[in-house]
Amino acid sequence: MIGIAFGAAAVGAMAQAPLWQETKPAGMKTEAVRYLYPEQVTLTAGKPAIVELHFRVAKGLHINSHAPKDTFLIPTTFSVPDGAGARLVGAQYPAGVEFTLPADPKTRLNVYTGDFTIEARLTASPGDHLVQGKLRYQACDETQCMPPKTIAVGIDVVGK
Amino acid sequence: MKRNTLVLGITLFILAAFAWAGWANWQYRKQAAERAAAATAKAELANGETADAMFSSSPLLGKQAPDFQLQNLQGKKVTLADYKGKALLINFWATWCGPCKLETPWLVELAKQYEPQGFEIVGIDAENDDVKPSDTAGWAKDKAAVERFVKQEKMPYPVLLGGDSISKAYGDFDAMPTSFWVDRSGKVIAAQMGISSKSDMEEKIKKAMQ
Repeated sequence: MIGIAFGAAAVGAMAQAPLWQETKPAGMKTEAVRYLYPEQVTLTAGKPAIVELHFRVAKGLHINSHAPKDTFLIPTTFSVPDGAGARLVGAQYPAGVEFTLPADPKTRLNVYTGDFTIEARLTASPGDHLVQGKLRYQACDETQCMPPKTIAVGIDVVGK
Repeated sequence: MKRNTLVLGITLFILAAFAWAGWANWQYRKQAAERAAAATAKAELANGETADAMFSSSPLLGKQAPDFQLQNLQGKKVTLADYKGKALLINFWATWCGPCKLETPWLVELAKQYEPQGFEIVGIDAENDDVKPSDTAGWAKDKAAVERFVKQEKMPYPVLLGGDSISKAYGDFDAMPTSFWVDRSGKVIAAQMGISSKSDMEEKIKKAMQ
């Protein structure tokens, strides 16, 4: 019973601000990428370890991979600020999938859609740290693009 | 008395254990559900999922185009009034925008084709990357990227910087590309959010020139 009571936490719906009044295209001011998990990891202090970070791209959208084919495009990048209690030693990004815009079937983009995972190599200091990593990306749908954005990736890192 | 305290203590301990177990169970289920969803979700983009993305309505339709004063790449101030009496396509774009790059060659061709008939295009760069007005290095970086893009695409029409400062007046949009067709009287006669096609853009140019 108590467990049920604890598990009854409600998940808030994502607010959508109007773009061009009520006739705006859906999704262009919604969150394009969501961090899924883990919320907490326990690492051996001082020793680099791989932490798999799982993200989800909203349906109908894509973001550039870490290695887009055009130098003007903004690559997806994960970072951890200095002094966070855990240091980002390196990151392994997944290979993107090839994608073409309907208006230009000849040009192949390299993107992430759906769920993707970044393998972050972290070194934790001893103790409990709430690490606020950052994921920078730039999202588009088939006809238009949203401005580049940086979202917080909150992980409770326990260094033992 | 001592016995009661002991019983109360044990009861509280059991309740706390239940609470912890319930919370841990909920956390486990939540993460398991996320994992299951992640495993089954397909990375796909089906055609038509964003059917309303091809957007051609705007509160500005039928109204005078909002005035602006922005700098071009040479640092000269350009205003909407400079285009008085011309049919005009105002094209908001950004260097990081793939569809913008895709439609630019169409715009280059259309600008050359219809310029003799009193039509002009003005490109307005709106990087929307939170560069503060005081961040000179950030602006210089943006400007360099725009110059590189303009050179690479051989854009013959003027490109203005700082489009984010006027996007609110043009409908508070942030998606690129976004275009407005303005007739010779300065009225917005068509708008397009997102890429359409060269023929669609040309039709709207013809309408603006009437």
